[in-house]
Amino acid sequence: MINKTRRRLIGGIAAAATTSLWSNFAFSVLKPEEKLKVGVIHMGAISNTGWEYYQAQAWRSLQDKYPDRVEVTVLENVTDIQAVERQFRQLAMQGHQLLFGTTFSQYASMKKMAPQLPQSHFECCAGIEAGPNLGVFEGRHYEGSYLTGIAAGRMTKSNILGWVGAFPVPQVLYSLNAFLLGAQSVNPDVTLKLVWVNAWVDPAKEKDAVSTLVSQGADVISGSPNTPVQSKAARDEGVWSIGNTGDFSEFVYETQLASFELDWSPAHIEAAQAVLDGTWEPTGRWRGLGDGGFIRMSTRSPELPASVGEELDMAEAAIISGELKPFAGPITDQSGTVRIAEGMELSDDEIRGMNWLVAGVQGSVPSS
Amino acid sequence: MTDILSILLTAIIAGTPLLYAALGELVTERSGVLNLGVEGLMVMGAITGFAAVFATDNLWLGVLAAGATGGALSLAFGVLAITLRVNHVAAGLALTIFGISLGAYVGKPLVGQSLNLTEAQFSGGLTQLPLLGPLFSDIHPLVWGSWLLFGGLWYFSVRTRAGLILRAVGESPRAADAIGYPVMSIQFLATGFGGVMAGIAGAFISVVYTSIWTEGMVAGRGWIAVALVIFATWRPERCIIGAYLFGGMTIAELLGQAMGLGVPTEFLSATPYLATVIVLVLISRKDSRMRLSVPAALGKSLDIKG
Repeated sequence: MINKTRRRLIGGIAAAATTSLWSNFAFSVLKPEEKLKVGVIHMGAISNTGWEYYQAQAWRSLQDKYPDRVEVTVLENVTDIQAVERQFRQLAMQGHQLLFGTTFSQYASMKKMAPQLPQSHFECCAGIEAGPNLGVFEGRHYEGSYLTGIAAGRMTKSNILGWVGAFPVPQVLYSLNAFLLGAQSVNPDVTLKLVWVNAWVDPAKEKDAVSTLVSQGADVISGSPNTPVQSKAARDEGVWSIGNTGDFSEFVYETQLASFELDWSPAHIEAAQAVLDGTWEPTGRWRGLGDGGFIRMSTRSPELPASVGEELDMAEAAIISGELKPFAGPITDQSGTVRIAEGMELSDDEIRGMNWLVAGVQGSVPSS
Repeated sequence: MTDILSILLTAIIAGTPLLYAALGELVTERSGVLNLGVEGLMVMGAITGFAAVFATDNLWLGVLAAGATGGALSLAFGVLAITLRVNHVAAGLALTIFGISLGAYVGKPLVGQSLNLTEAQFSGGLTQLPLLGPLFSDIHPLVWGSWLLFGGLWYFSVRTRAGLILRAVGESPRAADAIGYPVMSIQFLATGFGGVMAGIAGAFISVVYTSIWTEGMVAGRGWIAVALVIFATWRPERCIIGAYLFGGMTIAELLGQAMGLGVPTEFLSATPYLATVIVLVLISRKDSRMRLSVPAALGKSLDIKG
């Protein structure tokens, strides 16, 4: 009697184990009525502006696109890297087949985990390069910065632009270089004053940085990460601002000359579609303006003359067609060294690794 | 000339939240209570002050709300540190972590919202005064408030009996208790005062300085205020100098860059902490100087009846 029960018990456990194994292995065959479970981990809180907002917009548009086929689980405020890893593993165990990382900070742990959890596919925003079972996507921010630079170059009276930088990472450096190159393309006399606040977030110091730039003659202010605080400070000082990866016109109205925003929806939708079709491959996607791109020009100030607006439209079309390359030579750096000769252009890797400033920037890269 | 004046004014504004928080912490520490929760109290003051002004468009209601929140939270800290004699450092750090997280959580619906308080702060008679008029119209009432606070505090600590009693409590709670002073009540009052000031300091940043809400508003200024009290060797008059020095350092850092002076910005960012370490080393070198500067019972969880 006892034996029988024990045997039955063992049999039961074995059966249960097999079933769960099966359910683990049966991942690749999604029945049409089954929903694809997508997991997203945000490092910060989702708000109405800024980086996390655009990340959230991406999975929201994914939900809107496939309301019946996709189910999105979102975790916010997962700041601790150990927690990121634990949460991703948990999401994978719960049967989420597509997992999105939202920042560069999650890249290292995703790179480690992705090969270990083959039942899920990983996609990391702002990750460095694609790896086994890990796709990455990032925007060519500099294309937007170049266009807003054209607007700034046309509208500045002092011929001095101002840039509030957080830390001298390549993404910030190539954005500000492109901003100045854009401005110089229409107004060769323009220079740019650069101030580092040495903090990712310090609204009070950002405000002081803007006042300081204005006191030194700057009359168009941009920055990265750009915040409503900077734009509002610029308005208070009576100068123009730029929406660099964010539209702050609801705070500053017509004093924001032009803005561009991030749009990660194509990244999310394409990845989900590929997983649904069973065709997902890890790829690196670095896209700028245009259809299916990750950068989108948004609002323009009503004070911007129509001629400048047309100029922006033409430059945008030229960038999309590939005719205009923001980092096409000749480009000299601050020290006068020619970084790229006429007729050549910087490669993607050279742009992503940028650690120098173009001629006309007043400021320095602290670490070098 | 106007340039130099406006730079000075910016430095004063940058120093004002430090001054409020540091003067409050100075009083708290003078009573022997070490409250390391200033950063958390400032965050909570910043969000409640901002929310109140956002809802009512009234600066003073914001200041009131921020002060009340800071005061209430610091009294909760007091229950831990004074009544229950929990380690001050641990309780203070807990308060900071709690305040930063709760502030971020409470403030979530307000992220990106901005205030539109009218620019003219003082109006009517005062601004019409000859000579002094522009001072009243250019300088925010809360900056004036910080000067009044400083004056009052200086008078309180060197010229009044109550100030002497406060110092006596911080030097030797047992002796003060033995001669009949209500030591715990005095410590609670001092801690509450510090909390109210930290709350107002936070509100100054969110309401006056940036007038827009985002996370990370206080950005370490609470810690600079704690360092400032040490820098000032627990004296109000050195506190005001230090506050403007530290505030001015931020402006100098930014201005140096914009003017292309090639200043090492990381070094300037670290100056408040460096200066504090230097002062600590200087006062620690001599035992007598140490005893004259630091409240003897600072941060000690004593059973005064024992």
